[in-house]
Amino acid sequence: MDDRKIQIFLDSLLPLLKAGVAFTIPLALISFALGLILAILTALARLSPWVLPKLIARFYVWVIRGTPLLVQLFIIFYGLPAVGIVLDPFIAATIGFTLSVGAYSSEIIRAAILSIHKGQWEAAFSVGMTRTQALRRVILPQAARVSVPPLSNSFISLVKDTSLAATITYTEMFRTAQQVASTSYEPLLIYCEAGLFYLLFCSVLSALQNYLEKRLSRYSAS
Amino acid sequence: MIEILNLHKSFGELQVLKGIDLEMEHGKVLVIIGPSGSGKTTLLRCFNLLEVPDQGSLSLSDIKINFTDNKKIPQKSILALRQKTGMVFQSYNLFPHMTALGNVMEGQVTVQKRSKDEARERALQLLTKVGLADKADAYPHQLSGGQQQRVAIARAMAVDPEVLLFDEPTSALDPELVGEVLKVIKQLAAEGMTMVIVTHEMKFAADVADRIILMDGGHILEQGTPQEVLEHPQHPRALQFLNRISGEEV
Repeated sequence: MDDRKIQIFLDSLLPLLKAGVAFTIPLALISFALGLILAILTALARLSPWVLPKLIARFYVWVIRGTPLLVQLFIIFYGLPAVGIVLDPFIAATIGFTLSVGAYSSEIIRAAILSIHKGQWEAAFSVGMTRTQALRRVILPQAARVSVPPLSNSFISLVKDTSLAATITYTEMFRTAQQVASTSYEPLLIYCEAGLFYLLFCSVLSALQNYLEKRLSRYSAS
Repeated sequence: MIEILNLHKSFGELQVLKGIDLEMEHGKVLVIIGPSGSGKTTLLRCFNLLEVPDQGSLSLSDIKINFTDNKKIPQKSILALRQKTGMVFQSYNLFPHMTALGNVMEGQVTVQKRSKDEARERALQLLTKVGLADKADAYPHQLSGGQQQRVAIARAMAVDPEVLLFDEPTSALDPELVGEVLKVIKQLAAEGMTMVIVTHEMKFAADVADRIILMDGGHILEQGTPQEVLEHPQHPRALQFLNRISGEEV
């Protein structure tokens, strides 16, 4: 590698890191947090005894899982203005990713809830709990532990998927890399550099997952 | 105190309870025995509506519930009934994410809205009673089966139920751990706790029961004092069952 390339590499470190910390990470965190709430609600709706919430939840999961995330982002950002809804790129991206996380993770949470032995429900009922109390105090805390590995997967996927937001003009890390690449004429170098940052972020998340799994397993023999 | 009239329950085509009548008084111990599939566990689970009967009626002190096909039982009655009953399960079903103390506090705090301090004090009192005060901070997986079941008994008692229900409380235990659980139950009986116990331990049943019910095929075959039921059964099928059981115990 010649000096010029090294200089370009070093010069772009900070802008990429800045874009990652200021835009990629907040987008991923906010979308994941909102998406989790949506996912829990969707899972509960699907497990509820009532028909209408069940149908709505199934329809939502069906649509989101059956269409590409990129298409959804384009509809939200480029499509909705046609009906008078103009959204800021950040808001549009947050909505798109939240809907996506909500749909995929609802299946994880639903499976986790179903994996809890029915004796736990019965024990909760036998001390007088309502269904809601049983869920909140007994079932969800145990389901949370079961869902840490698959949810970590979702989060790691999401961090990488945020690069799609570049296509709707949200200047996160990948879009920043595109800009640097086009001015420096070093696409190989810059895109590899961006890739390294994603790898770094995801490695931190994996470490966090390990920590969380250890912490949550303190009450189990396995 | 408890009165059950003409109770019926089916699972799909399978009729499990075919008209059960029984009555019991406050402070007494009722033991239900019978071959597996006789409906005894289902009957016990009707006491706190973990199974909702199809027909008949159930009353427990001031609560009276009538069952007819397809009529939903108001949630309020179900919750009221469950607050007057405590249940101990065959497989303990302790909450694995809570300590022994947490398990015994949970119902008090979440359901009865007691303060944490009050609940902790009562929980410690109960754990002491079942001989596990020193295990208050242990998680269920750190306890033996017998210890877990004793915590489960403390948990069931923590909400001050009027009646305790036991569903084969020693069936999942290693033989050497059965004694410690039975001892706790006997102690409760001596203190005048009202209890309904489904069990296969005949010697224990004879010891602890005020009355025994022998079920078979969804009916009550025999009922009476332990002596009447265990030593002088009237029904040939009851005799057959008791002979088989005593044969196994020798």
